[in-house]
Amino acid sequence: MQATPEKTLVSKSSETTKTARPWLARWPLLRAFLRNRKAMLGVSILFFFIMVALLAPWIAPGNPKKMESRAHLAPAWIADTPAPGGKTFLLGTTGQGQDVFRQLVWGARLSLSVGLSVGIASTIVGTIIGLTAGYLGGWVDDILSLLTNVMLIIPGMPLLVILAAFLKPGPVTVVMVLTLTGWAWPARVMRSQVLSLRAKDFIAASVVSGERTPRILFSEVLPNMSSVFVGSMVGSTVYAIGADVGLAFLGLTNVGTTSWGTMLYWAQNNAGILTGAWWTFVPTGICIALCAFALTMLNYALDEITNPRLRAEKETTHGKRNRGNVLVTPVIRK
Amino acid sequence: MKLRFPALMMLVIIFISMLAACGDASTLTPQATQGQSTTAPAATATEAPATGSTDATAEPTAAATTDTGSTSSDGKVFLTVSDQQQSTWVRNFNPFASDNRWPTAAGIYEPMFIYNIATGKIEPWLATEWAWNSDNTELTFTIRDGVKWSDGEAFSSKDVAYTLNLMKDNEKLQGNGRAAMRFIDTVTADGNKVVVKFKEVSTIALYDIGHQMIVPEHIWSKIADPVTFTNETPIATGPFTEIIRFQDQIWELGKNPNYWQAGKPYIDGIRQPAYPSNDAANLATINGENDLASNFIPDVEKTYVAKDPENNHYWFPPVNAPVMLLLNTTKAPFNDPNVRKAISMGFDRQQITEIATYSYNSPSDATGLPESFADWKNPEAVAAGDWVKFDVEKANAMLDAAGLTRGPDGIRVLPDGKPMTYDINVVSGWTDWVTTDEIIAESLKEIGINATTRTYDFSAWFDKVQKGEFDMSIGWSNNAPTPLQFYRGLMSGETADTPIGEANGDNWHRYGNPKVDELYSQFVKTSDPAEQKKIMNEIQMIFVQEAPAIPIMPNIYWGEYNTKRFTNFPNEENPYVLLSSFAQPDRLILLTNIKPK
Amino acid sequence: MRFLLRRLGFYAVAAWVSLTVNFYLPRLMPGDPASAIFARFQGKLRPEEIDSLRKAYGLSDAPLLEQYGTYLKSLSRGEFGISINFFPAPVTTVISTGFMWTILLAGLATVISFFLGNVLGIIGAWRRNGILDSVAPPLLTFIGAFPYFFLAMIALYFLAFQAGWFPLRHAYSDALSVNWGSLTFIKSVVSHMILPAGCIVLASIGGWMLGMRNTMVGILSEDYITMAQAKGLSQKRIMFSYAARNALLPNVTSFGMALGFVLSGSLLTEIIFAYPGLGYLLLQAVRNLDYPLMQGLFLMITFAVLGANLLVDILYVWLDPRTRR
Repeated sequence: MQATPEKTLVSKSSETTKTARPWLARWPLLRAFLRNRKAMLGVSILFFFIMVALLAPWIAPGNPKKMESRAHLAPAWIADTPAPGGKTFLLGTTGQGQDVFRQLVWGARLSLSVGLSVGIASTIVGTIIGLTAGYLGGWVDDILSLLTNVMLIIPGMPLLVILAAFLKPGPVTVVMVLTLTGWAWPARVMRSQVLSLRAKDFIAASVVSGERTPRILFSEVLPNMSSVFVGSMVGSTVYAIGADVGLAFLGLTNVGTTSWGTMLYWAQNNAGILTGAWWTFVPTGICIALCAFALTMLNYALDEITNPRLRAEKETTHGKRNRGNVLVTPVIRK
Repeated sequence: MKLRFPALMMLVIIFISMLAACGDASTLTPQATQGQSTTAPAATATEAPATGSTDATAEPTAAATTDTGSTSSDGKVFLTVSDQQQSTWVRNFNPFASDNRWPTAAGIYEPMFIYNIATGKIEPWLATEWAWNSDNTELTFTIRDGVKWSDGEAFSSKDVAYTLNLMKDNEKLQGNGRAAMRFIDTVTADGNKVVVKFKEVSTIALYDIGHQMIVPEHIWSKIADPVTFTNETPIATGPFTEIIRFQDQIWELGKNPNYWQAGKPYIDGIRQPAYPSNDAANLATINGENDLASNFIPDVEKTYVAKDPENNHYWFPPVNAPVMLLLNTTKAPFNDPNVRKAISMGFDRQQITEIATYSYNSPSDATGLPESFADWKNPEAVAAGDWVKFDVEKANAMLDAAGLTRGPDGIRVLPDGKPMTYDINVVSGWTDWVTTDEIIAESLKEIGINATTRTYDFSAWFDKVQKGEFDMSIGWSNNAPTPLQFYRGLMSGETADTPIGEANGDNWHRYGNPKVDELYSQFVKTSDPAEQKKIMNEIQMIFVQEAPAIPIMPNIYWGEYNTKRFTNFPNEENPYVLLSSFAQPDRLILLTNIKPK
Repeated sequence: MRFLLRRLGFYAVAAWVSLTVNFYLPRLMPGDPASAIFARFQGKLRPEEIDSLRKAYGLSDAPLLEQYGTYLKSLSRGEFGISINFFPAPVTTVISTGFMWTILLAGLATVISFFLGNVLGIIGAWRRNGILDSVAPPLLTFIGAFPYFFLAMIALYFLAFQAGWFPLRHAYSDALSVNWGSLTFIKSVVSHMILPAGCIVLASIGGWMLGMRNTMVGILSEDYITMAQAKGLSQKRIMFSYAARNALLPNVTSFGMALGFVLSGSLLTEIIFAYPGLGYLLLQAVRNLDYPLMQGLFLMITFAVLGANLLVDILYVWLDPRTRR
């Protein structure tokens, strides 16, 4: 695995692009980002869900756990019989008579915040370890890389299940457990990134000019890794959202709270599929998938933007080319 | 570009990983999904509408089997059963092991008598009668004549004495008789009689001894270590002793050629495919592949019976010991009986039975005794127990009177200023329990108690509950042939003082009452039913006055059957025995009475 | 060769770490196996019987470090002990019932997914912006974004239960016995594997395809490809021998790692499809605190993953001559 050639994502590149707006010109990455369809798709979906989470009290006022009506009431737009009391339930009710729509809206809060927290936390832990290992090298690197690689190769499932099962369930525990099991990948990516950066002239220059190690790390190395950092974070968030749903589904989080994972847990517990109450789990599944999809799209976009070859291809290939005709693109070599 | 890998892969992975786990949550326990704990969180998707069209598996042979379910290739009629939940079978028929294939104690080996939970009667089995001497220090069993082991050897009182002595001398052997062993002095065989002498009187030990599976001396005396013996080809007296097939996915048992009940069993054999979860088992049951199942099926009328009203039937008698809400009585304010009663009045048992158990059962009364103990029930105690009625107003009044005033946020506050904010612990995956917990937690908010559902994995939950490290918890209670063990498990002074942090076998909420201990010792010293009933009436009265723990609803013995190929299953009209797999050894009665169509 | 030796050293360390973690972690958890077993009888057993169970299982009160020593010693002799949950069956017996099926399912699904994903990626990159290249990546990503159990449950319910196109459970028909020489048996195994393996493939193929496609795109702009074009080599040869072979390298390293993940992942599939593998055993072991079984399973799974990684390393050496130094 160490043998993998990691690509340099840094682009001190020759951005030869039309300058639309002056401030954007100074941020070529951002500009490229805004022009990338995948990125925009991802950002819009994500933005939508974040807004929903933030505005939950206005979109679906009330306590999401309140048992309002009969169990497994079909959504209002397909129900043959109206809900008692003249209430309407856009997405029907759960097996406990709770409003599915309201739960979906409120559930976004917990699910997204757990996902994002883990994404940030594990990337930070991973970055610290990766940076230290990559920059210091020597025996520190040997030990840290070994640890990272071992973490990566050991099947993580038993660890995760055991930890989650025996700590006090709750969002904080979940964030901790997922961070503990999720830092290795960012660490690995960061380390190889640092290794390639260290070989660069400007770092060598800083070293020669006598700057202290922490300063070099933070003011020279780190800023050049922002895209890798963001990429790791997005990746870790996807992982966290999925893992959180999985843990909740197993009943290993606090199922007294409302999140997308606990919604699936309750749907399963109340035999949603068995009784044909698809509205208790299909919308939830789709929301989870959309979020994970949006984040993954963001990551792909990030790749396209920071990998000059992929980007160049996008920008210059319009219309049909002859198959097999190789495009010559500006390639930045180390 | 490498980044993407992480993202996707991890997603898949971990995801998966977790998921993986999920499956299991379901049943943690092979044998005991017992009545209550129904279920399985497991992941499966099971069912719903219809297609009754069974199967059609992609592969011809498979299709054939599924379709015909219980007929094996040579035309014999096998009863397909869903009982233990395992993904693959491990071949073990050792009746002294804690894990064995279920027929070991319900088809292969047999006990001396069977206490039939459904009828409340004791049915003689390998013994024809038994009697205590006048001071209850000696118990004599008369052994049935004409019984043979499946290898043709004659069964005798020596085998019984051998089995009991084997257990007595080797503490590592498990079995129904284990609990009685510490009272026993000697066991001797004499003609067709077996005499058990007691060093300490305990008349309830009768049931433990009577339910012990009996093994043949001529086989087991040659076994070097009965503890680790897997007994792959059992020799026994039961109706099904021949192992026809034992594969990782399925096993089949055939008849005992020498069975002592002439003409029985009526069916040629039993088989069980491996179902790892409740959902997998339910899918097969609904698909018509199981003739007899004992799984919790949600909304059974709609999901199961409606598929084939002619043949698909269920019988869910709620006669098992109740699910309890346990309040840790070592902590204030749960040490106050009035607070316990107020909490009990703060939730609606009717709502719980409707939502959590699909109205399969009905609320418990304040004695906690299920209908199977109707004869034992003290009507005065039932009448005195008004604290099982849902009454928010009265509950609030009682809590006010107990000095628990509401804080500004509506949450009541203890005299020392601590708000009444508690977790109610429950086992993740035991769906009816979790839903019950959820309803109670939501309801208690109305009486100023901020309660939250807290699911734990089984081992963690059990560890906490045993050690008394909880405020409120859902829990089970003891079920035995007499209500004595039920009450003793909830009110025994012997176990009440176990410090928090040390494990208790029962009485997890640590309530003790010396009066109950005294009544208990009176009860076990007498074998006179009238006397026992009188003592039991008093115990019930104490329970109702003190509310040491809060009964919610009786547990259910789950049972579904399909009459396409077999008849004479018990049901509400003909309740001759329970269908549930958890009722062992009752299942011997069931398996010897089912008939092929 | 030095490369391989270093990898071997690394695997040894990884194995030791996982052994150790696996030994200590469960023992630090609350609860003990005897009460877990006792509990499964829920009030049916008397409290008196717990002691009896503890004695039967031979649970030791020795200090953990001492137990750890004993554990390593017996492992080195190949002794895995007796399972507590399935007492008195030896761990090896219990594991042997499902090991083959798990390896078969997870291995096959990973290989298929890897192979298909890479081929799709190669084609996608070759015909850039063609139909395949524009439709497949987002679609596969979207499918892969669903919670895994969601896909498996829905597939089981609709395709197997409702439509009846696939068997509902197990690895082969109950009417057959294991016989790899018989065509009927093999057919049965295949038909039982389609759904579970299909779910794993569907969930993981998107990653492979995109990885391959993007690497290919990069490589296609290398000078040596232009050179090959200029020399007039056949397109097929350029695509596979020049571009794909080089693009495969990063994916091959990911493969080894993915295998471990997929193995854990296939455990879930097994449960949903009632496949007779190790998945449910592992869960049971964890829940019942069956230390010996947990250790045995964990060890087998880890070794399977490490073994697969070693194979991948060997493959890597073969694919990339630079590592042969």
